[in-house]
Amino acid sequence: MNLPKIDLAALPDLDTLTGAFGSLMHAPSALTSDDSLLILMTYLYDLFDPSNQP
Amino acid sequence: MHIAPDISALRQDDQPQRAAQAAMAQAVREWRSRPDVAQLHEELAAFSSCRTFAECPLLATLFEDANPAAQIFVEEYVSAMAAAIGRHPLGQIAMRHFADGKVSNIQLARTARTTLMLVALDGVALARAPTPTSANFSPAESWDHILAGKAFATLIEARPPAAPQVEFHRRDVLLLPGKVIAREGSRQTMQIGRIEGRLVTLRLVRRHEKPGPAREYELASGRLIHQAAGNAAESRLEFMVSLLGRMGRADAAPELADIALEDWGEGLRWEALRQCLSLDTATGFAVLSRLAERSGDSLAIPAQTLRRGLVDLHPQLEEIG
Repeated sequence: MNLPKIDLAALPDLDTLTGAFGSLMHAPSALTSDDSLLILMTYLYDLFDPSNQP
Repeated sequence: MHIAPDISALRQDDQPQRAAQAAMAQAVREWRSRPDVAQLHEELAAFSSCRTFAECPLLATLFEDANPAAQIFVEEYVSAMAAAIGRHPLGQIAMRHFADGKVSNIQLARTARTTLMLVALDGVALARAPTPTSANFSPAESWDHILAGKAFATLIEARPPAAPQVEFHRRDVLLLPGKVIAREGSRQTMQIGRIEGRLVTLRLVRRHEKPGPAREYELASGRLIHQAAGNAAESRLEFMVSLLGRMGRADAAPELADIALEDWGEGLRWEALRQCLSLDTATGFAVLSRLAERSGDSLAIPAQTLRRGLVDLHPQLEEIG
């Protein structure tokens, strides 16, 4: 079957968007807990495609 | 510019500072190894696994109205740290802390989803700060035991919780030493209006086991103005999902399909669905159809709408399911 390629930009978002963790616009004025944090993300890229090896 | 001689000397030789830091770390270790602190740590771990205060006797005394245990516990901690600072004035207490002139806090202990911290709020800085126009609600329970100071606060409850439009129910409370304020953060928040002096509290926060989004509402209207993922792991996964999409990794489509169907927040699940559809039409459309048929799933309605729209554009999709 010949399926269409669907363009990501044509797919709608939900009515209410959810921002990333910690993205509330204003720090709460008082008695806040501190949720500032740093997360290191590790990516492993495939540099060689095993199926193409000689 | 004046640079104190002992700081200036550190430029030539940082050994004294290293020694001071080692001594500060040792002071924290000694405090943590005290039997009561060790027991508290165990109780915090148990409290993280859904136990109640009744099963955590030491923790319960710290968050009981008018119980002096909290005051004594904090005084002993502060004395130990102040003595260490006294011996090493340039040392830093090796515990996670934050200060912005208005709020200062230091994390005393943390296990899984429970945090115990000491919080100080400065009355003068608070009076200078602009009056808040919004209120935040986050997926955590919290308890504050007031240790020092006096403050006029308002407990604000959003009803119905988590709705795009809420009504606020307000109750004024006077915060005085010995008082314990408990809140369910997903629907209750506290705003401090005025502080005489400095307000110091011992605070316990337990994040929800499955944290939903944190929400910010406009105080004047009750309108939702922002929501953010309540869970860092979920946001991290969403970044990964977007990255796989940008890399054109069609081989990731089955993983994205799983995420869209699993028990994650709707923002992440919808993003996984979108990326899956654009990477692999057949897999993505099958997931979309399953979501559209799920009763009780908050994504069912938007999935039905999207499915109809796609079938109108590409009638051959109907054959996938």
